[in-house]
Amino acid sequence: NDCYSQSYPQLYEPGQRSLYFSKGAFIKCALHSCYSSLVLFFVPYAAVRDSVSTDGHDIADHQSFALLTQTCLTVTVCVQLGLDLSYWTAVNHLFVWGSLGMYFLVTFTMQSDGLHRLYASSFPFVGTAHNSLDQVTVWLTVLLTAVLCVLPVVVHRFLFMQLNPTINDKAQPPPPRRRARIRRSSTRCSGYAFSYAYGYGDLVTSKRFLRRPVPLRSAGSTPAGRSAAFRPAGRSAGYSPSGQ
Amino acid sequence: MMASSYNIKEEDGHHSGSSGPGGNAVRTKKPDNTAFKQQRLPAWQPIITAGTVLPAFFIIGLIFIPIGIGLYVTSNNIKEFEIDYTGIDISSPCFNCSQSYSWNTTTSCTCSIPFSLDQPFESNVFMYYGLSNFYQNHRRYVKSRDDSQLNGNLDSLKAPSKECEPYRINENMPIAPCGAIANSMFNDTLDLFYIDPNGTRTPIPLMKTGIAWWTDKHVKFRNPGGSSSNLTAVFYGTTKPLSWPKPVYELDTDPENNGFVNEDLIVWMRTAALPTFRKLYRIIQKKNSLTPTLPRGNYTLDIVYNYPVRSFDGRKRMILSTISWMGGKNPFLGIAYISVGSVCFFLGVVLLFIHHKYGNRNNSSDIPN
Repeated sequence: NDCYSQSYPQLYEPGQRSLYFSKGAFIKCALHSCYSSLVLFFVPYAAVRDSVSTDGHDIADHQSFALLTQTCLTVTVCVQLGLDLSYWTAVNHLFVWGSLGMYFLVTFTMQSDGLHRLYASSFPFVGTAHNSLDQVTVWLTVLLTAVLCVLPVVVHRFLFMQLNPTINDKAQPPPPRRRARIRRSSTRCSGYAFSYAYGYGDLVTSKRFLRRPVPLRSAGSTPAGRSAAFRPAGRSAGYSPSGQ
Repeated sequence: MMASSYNIKEEDGHHSGSSGPGGNAVRTKKPDNTAFKQQRLPAWQPIITAGTVLPAFFIIGLIFIPIGIGLYVTSNNIKEFEIDYTGIDISSPCFNCSQSYSWNTTTSCTCSIPFSLDQPFESNVFMYYGLSNFYQNHRRYVKSRDDSQLNGNLDSLKAPSKECEPYRINENMPIAPCGAIANSMFNDTLDLFYIDPNGTRTPIPLMKTGIAWWTDKHVKFRNPGGSSSNLTAVFYGTTKPLSWPKPVYELDTDPENNGFVNEDLIVWMRTAALPTFRKLYRIIQKKNSLTPTLPRGNYTLDIVYNYPVRSFDGRKRMILSTISWMGGKNPFLGIAYISVGSVCFFLGVVLLFIHHKYGNRNNSSDIPN
């Protein structure tokens, strides 16, 4: 938000340096897309090849295979979208879960008996959703595909955050409730004595504790309700001098 | 949306055109100070930190591995038996039958292949025919059908859709059912016989209904003129597909399984997605819980060999299989789940090590102001 952008002007640097819009970014995106496409086709292919449903009927037919691949794709996209959303407000919840629900609603409607009776040639997929989406293997395939597509992204982001954090990763808004519980005064001296991390040399030389502006608390920046982010302090147990 | 809010609430000034140039109200374009418009809605912020990612990896690993083991064990317990009866080898009993290439042979060729089952098959046994190198997913082939004709529409019966070309009209009469899919219907006949230890051949009863989807048999495919009608009269004025030996109203003596609702036709018309596929042919019902459906021993497969596949290098085979809660025999899902679960767990350990070694160091170097 605006207060945050004023206190951390370095956040504008990646944009000025075109860090997110470079050939490297494109190539990474293209590689991720290639990998996801291969997973989204070959995992359903291998799962239904030479297989049948629980009552012996067809599950590897053209329409069921198309529906399975489509479902895998929609669920994977929604999961990936959920990872990329920075803020989960009520609107976001509505649109993400609503998209998924809308997909199933439209699929079942288009493949219902009623529409087929009206226009037989236009709705040839009658019965496909009903017959294939009640198979356990279909849902297990969807889950496997979603996990396989999203896992490399999470690993990549986590690794880079640990080993080479960008400016955005460092400038995260602090979860207020946890810090508020930490008592400062009583553990000040003992905290320093038993500190297992680096000392306060960099703190002193950076003069941050002298003139740190009070962070403005506008309601938009703090996550109300539970906070999913836990920032390990990295310093000693109690004392957090910068007020974060 | 912003204009309508101006009409309702005038807290930020008059909407344009109200007071004229002499008005002294300040016109501002500020949006309302509501949480929705100022983007201050309560939000949950997912941040990828060690506290969320590492437990997630371990949980995924711990969930996937048992699922994978369950799937793999179940798949291994499914019994399956396959015979290729194309007759490529000169030593195969069906070699002579396989030499004829054309679709118009009137004399049918029979061959008989003996086989033996090492393990008894319990519960319902499903008999499939499998074809290889047969591309039922070719686009022109998939479109070559008329769904409204197969749905019993009388207009489409006499005037099939253009998609069925060139299998639409024959000798000035419409073909029923039209299209390339129906024309290439599988027409081999397979029979199973059990050879007793003392040599008697007992035929195994094969059920030919219940092999198609319920929605296909009762919704998608309907006979023209309703269910209880004289099919020969209804189909008068149409002709059989070019490669069929008999017309569609003579497919079966059972009136419930005759005409367009014949289950073999329905199963064939559900085009397969892959070039190697299997389609349900017959069901061998279980007798009781004590005797196995197919006991261990010698069997014979009698084939009426009508369907030529040598011209496109295809293969034909017969498959006997039991079924479980996960369907047919397919070890891929089990192996995939075990691998992904193990990789997740291993990645969790590696990332935990990396986080422990390198993560704390970076967290303490915050952005200097």
